[in-house]
Amino acid sequence: MKFSNNTYRSFFVLCAAILAFFVIGKADAACFECRENYTSVEQVEVSDELFNVKCSSKTGGVLWWGDPFYGTVPMGDMPENIEADYLSEPAVVKPRVDYEEGTSDHLGYFPCSNCHGVFVPTPRSSKDRKINAHQDVVENSLELKHGRGAIWCLECHNAKKRDYLTSHRGDLISFNQTQKLCGKCHGQIYRDWRDGIHGKRIGYWDKGAKKRWWTCTECHNPHDVEPAFKALVPESAPHLPRGMDNADHERLHVDHSGLSHGDVTDGEPTTASHGEAATDTTAESGAH
Amino acid sequence: MKTDEKKENKENLEKEENSCCAPDNGRRDFLKTAGVTTAAALTGAGALLSGSDEAEAKFHWAEWFQKNYRLMTDEEKEAAVTRLEKRYSEEYDKNVTVDRTEAKDGVLFGYALNIQKCIGCRRCVKACVTENNQSRENTQIEWIRVIRMEKGEFSQEFMDQGSPQISGKHGIQSGGHRHKQAGVVLEGQHYYEPEKVPEKDAFYFPMQCMQCENPPCVKVCPVRTTYRDPDGIVVIDYNWCIGCRMCIGACPYWARRFNWGEPNLPKEEMNPKTHYMGNRPRMKGVVEKCTFCVQRTRKGRYTACVEVCPVGARKFGNLLDPNSEVRKILDKKRVFRLKAELETYPKFFYFMD
Repeated sequence: MKFSNNTYRSFFVLCAAILAFFVIGKADAACFECRENYTSVEQVEVSDELFNVKCSSKTGGVLWWGDPFYGTVPMGDMPENIEADYLSEPAVVKPRVDYEEGTSDHLGYFPCSNCHGVFVPTPRSSKDRKINAHQDVVENSLELKHGRGAIWCLECHNAKKRDYLTSHRGDLISFNQTQKLCGKCHGQIYRDWRDGIHGKRIGYWDKGAKKRWWTCTECHNPHDVEPAFKALVPESAPHLPRGMDNADHERLHVDHSGLSHGDVTDGEPTTASHGEAATDTTAESGAH
Repeated sequence: MKTDEKKENKENLEKEENSCCAPDNGRRDFLKTAGVTTAAALTGAGALLSGSDEAEAKFHWAEWFQKNYRLMTDEEKEAAVTRLEKRYSEEYDKNVTVDRTEAKDGVLFGYALNIQKCIGCRRCVKACVTENNQSRENTQIEWIRVIRMEKGEFSQEFMDQGSPQISGKHGIQSGGHRHKQAGVVLEGQHYYEPEKVPEKDAFYFPMQCMQCENPPCVKVCPVRTTYRDPDGIVVIDYNWCIGCRMCIGACPYWARRFNWGEPNLPKEEMNPKTHYMGNRPRMKGVVEKCTFCVQRTRKGRYTACVEVCPVGARKFGNLLDPNSEVRKILDKKRVFRLKAELETYPKFFYFMD
């Protein structure tokens, strides 16, 4: 079979178009790290054929880290009296809020000071009350669950400088260093986090080698604290071995009498009759 | 000192290798001579050369007759690696590197997994496949398996469903809650597929190669192609593997996989940064398994599964460093090894908060 030059040419054009679409599509792809709709990362080709991340086509989550430090900044200083690894290690974090640019990758209205302190006055009373605002940012802002309802917005958010969080002494804490705030109550977890036992780090395993640290709110939602980690769509199951139609054998455990235990929960007639028999016996023995 | 030891080991190995087969010539030497001289082998070579283009055949020819990796000289290793780089680069249309970084002194790799945190999302499984160039389908190979276990179902309604059925007041030999799974490890579910994880009534238990200190798979390998490297990683020289699958039978953790067919690895998904002992593309008829991402970890990087775990349940580090994450876990947390009674001494620990 012979193709004309034109056929070849159109074939190549088509291939190029598909390839271009593929490449562009890849460059635009974004996936989430831990919290869906909150911690997202864009796929970028960092060097020849090397992407910073690869995303899952099924769940939209990060599947593979090529460049662990893409888009990170040094974690910054910590209070001097706290002895911690990150003073000696090149620890980096991914900033969720850019204070210089005044942007954020998840807060809809950052910087908050655009309204708070200008159009919205600083509240005179710090007494807790229900607040209707920002239900788009704070899901269920009317039913905060943190501390089982014992604490409210201004316990953590600075009342006067809304672009920051606040310590119990009124010190400013950046949205990018939430551990400084969370660690004040959750001390045990904070210590584990500093040791690298709790939470997540990527990069180089050796002591003193560069690591990216995940801060508290990159995995946990501080408002809707239950469950501690929001459920995710799982990646697909392994393929079944050749010749196996389904995985029912895992779920149904066959009794010695040949009675399938899936039947018991499904309320099959066999079960009912057994139940009746047992009840009858009890009734009889009771009568005697 | 270490290098001396290594040398000695190597010499011993060589001696044993020689003593086991032929008094004068090693098995390889014998094969080599035979390969060059006998007519049968020459026809074999002819077949190899005629079947494909010449360059590729040359690679195959040289690969076929290379030694056990541990017995190679440095130059032979370099030649083997260069050969593979060329072949893979042509095969996968990209610049493939085959690393051969050896174990570093003062490093013993260890792993810890927080089973309290694991949500069973299988991202580690897929990250591993992405990193380590496993066969994608037909037959699909995954080095990590996540087992789902039920929390159990206990209620009054099962109380009278024991055996024998008619009990009266004299007790039932086996209770109505038999077969109600709760925390069963090895009969757990592999193929679970709920809408979202974690599920309310289940927890999850990932398993992979435990890099045992006393590895049963190494002991049974008849050709010594799988062995424990000084940094504690159990590796496989795929080229020397004869596919007998003895190691699969010996491993109590179901960690090893066999390439029943030609591995199916799409070009665009192939990870070009490979290691000779790790994620370089495998061939039909060889065994493979988790290597703690040897191509990454020997260069300092965390393994792919550690980095991808969205809940931070996976921890990795140097067991000889008292300040490493794994050692801190061993110090502070409740830790256990899977099937410790088998005295395999895994360097993969499970822990809870």
